[in-house]
Amino acid sequence: MKWSPRIIALSLAVTLAIAGAGCAKKPPATTQPPPAPTPAETAPTPAPTPPPAPAPAPEPPKPALTAADLQVVYFGYDSFQLDDGARAALDANAKLLRDNPNLSVSVDGHCDERGTVEYNQALGQKRAEAVQQYLSDQGIPSTRFRVISYGKERPADEGHDESAWSRNRRVEFTPR
Amino acid sequence: MTTLGNARGLSTARSLRSLAGFVGVVALAGSWAVARVSAQGSGDVRIDVKSGAIARLPLRCEALQGPQSGNASARDADGVLANDLQASAVFDVDRAWAPAANDPQPQFVSGGRWSVEGSQVRLAGELRDFPARRPILVRDYAGPASEWRRLVHRFSDDCVQQITGERGVADTRVAFVVREGQNKELWIMDADGANAHALSADKSIVQSPSWSPEGSLLLFTSWRGGNGPAIWVMSPEQRRPFLISGRPGLNTSACYSPDGQKIACTLSQDGNAEVYVLDARGGNAQRLTNHRSIDTAPAWSPTGRELAFTSDRSGSPQIYLMDAVGGSIRRLTFDVDYTDSPSWSPKGDRIAFVTRVGGGFDVWTCRADGTGAKPAVTGGNNENPRWSADGRHLVFASNRDGGYGLWVTDLDGALPRKLDTGGRRAMSPAWSPRRSTGS
Repeated sequence: MKWSPRIIALSLAVTLAIAGAGCAKKPPATTQPPPAPTPAETAPTPAPTPPPAPAPAPEPPKPALTAADLQVVYFGYDSFQLDDGARAALDANAKLLRDNPNLSVSVDGHCDERGTVEYNQALGQKRAEAVQQYLSDQGIPSTRFRVISYGKERPADEGHDESAWSRNRRVEFTPR
Repeated sequence: MTTLGNARGLSTARSLRSLAGFVGVVALAGSWAVARVSAQGSGDVRIDVKSGAIARLPLRCEALQGPQSGNASARDADGVLANDLQASAVFDVDRAWAPAANDPQPQFVSGGRWSVEGSQVRLAGELRDFPARRPILVRDYAGPASEWRRLVHRFSDDCVQQITGERGVADTRVAFVVREGQNKELWIMDADGANAHALSADKSIVQSPSWSPEGSLLLFTSWRGGNGPAIWVMSPEQRRPFLISGRPGLNTSACYSPDGQKIACTLSQDGNAEVYVLDARGGNAQRLTNHRSIDTAPAWSPTGRELAFTSDRSGSPQIYLMDAVGGSIRRLTFDVDYTDSPSWSPKGDRIAFVTRVGGGFDVWTCRADGTGAKPAVTGGNNENPRWSADGRHLVFASNRDGGYGLWVTDLDGALPRKLDTGGRRAMSPAWSPRRSTGS
């Protein structure tokens, strides 16, 4: 099989994007804003200078909130409908997200083990998208979310009874 | 290894068979050698165009003459051959070196000579009728000692071809997924469970491996990179994955069309899980389904003209068929609970799928028009059935003896047999096409 330059470029782009995402996740080395070079305010300069770049805004305080602080949302069997409990959890999450506008999260859809790999993969996606849509409808920009389905691959509870299954039919929020 | 010489495949064997008493020499190619071919007698030749079981023919496996100890001994080859011939589901094998009281009167005997010369192994394989012991197949095989098992597999496949008109599938492989903690890696092994080894070490999730039609590439879904499920392709020899589709949302359930020119898969880039067809490099996505329900798990018919897929548009997941260019959607399965994982027999006549019974899934098959649905495997939880290239077997994942492993049914009503995956938690098998044997 030959690989077109486009595919190679695409693979490279994806690799770089992943690498970039990895870097973006690193916490800043320091919370102090770097000393901005201050233009001399009084010395007149004859040469027209380009307007100074807006001084970098001081780094906002690191959000105390993390993805783990957002409530897990649970679902009924073979369902991606948001019930009253799910909506209450999401209303609380929406408030936290509004109060912490710098927090971006991964919205991870999961299923219980009953059902096939393929179908659960799609069902997990439906659940995660339902959650993301609800939060976007509450005014949280969709750019703050990344939606991923894990199907039945990452159970929260390895048990094989209704108690475990009900804990596994969920959407979790994880660091993006 | 790139080229494998062989006995020139089906057409040569058939033409040789028509020349009674002919003893020919077939040109050598690559590192495998076939020095002498003799095929005579009409035998009991049946060409079977249907999937599933035929009545087994009693065959006595006689010990190969040759070294009885050391690496790749004749005794080792005996064990592999007897296992292959039995696993073919064409023969009912008794082992002459371990006679049992209820061994049937054989209709055929296999045997021959096995020799190891330095790094080369030679097999002079013979299949004869019984009791007259007239030769039906006499063929020489040679190859590197490191791949001695393949010589035996090819002899077994030739024996099956001589009797049924179609090669066996001993010289094939199974790709599968092994769960390790919360992760799943891609693995591969020979069809008899030998030579199992990992193809990935991403510490991520791999799902749904699927072979290219000529058996050189594996498509699979992987979460490698952390951006959600994407479709990748990899040669099992080179093990360097290339991205096929990393579109937003789902990129799963990929499989090549029978001509290798297209890939059917599930994407959700338009907001919902739908079946698409891509070109072989992953571009030019053509959407085939358009429904607010979940549509997934496409499987090509062997002609490439139709696709089976799963949809819950009726309320529960069921198997549907549609034209491979989209349209003409019709429901295949009725009167069964939750069904999924369709797999179309290479013979075209039957479709395998799983259907939920109680707390688990059974494997069923039905005709390609939906009639004749019947269970193939029951008991425990059985998932992801995939056909062998000859349509005589299904490999599937099951927890029927406790932990998850891979099993094979010969579709004859007998209990399935377990493939030895070394106790690993194996699932999502994909049976390879026949391996290239050169030309």
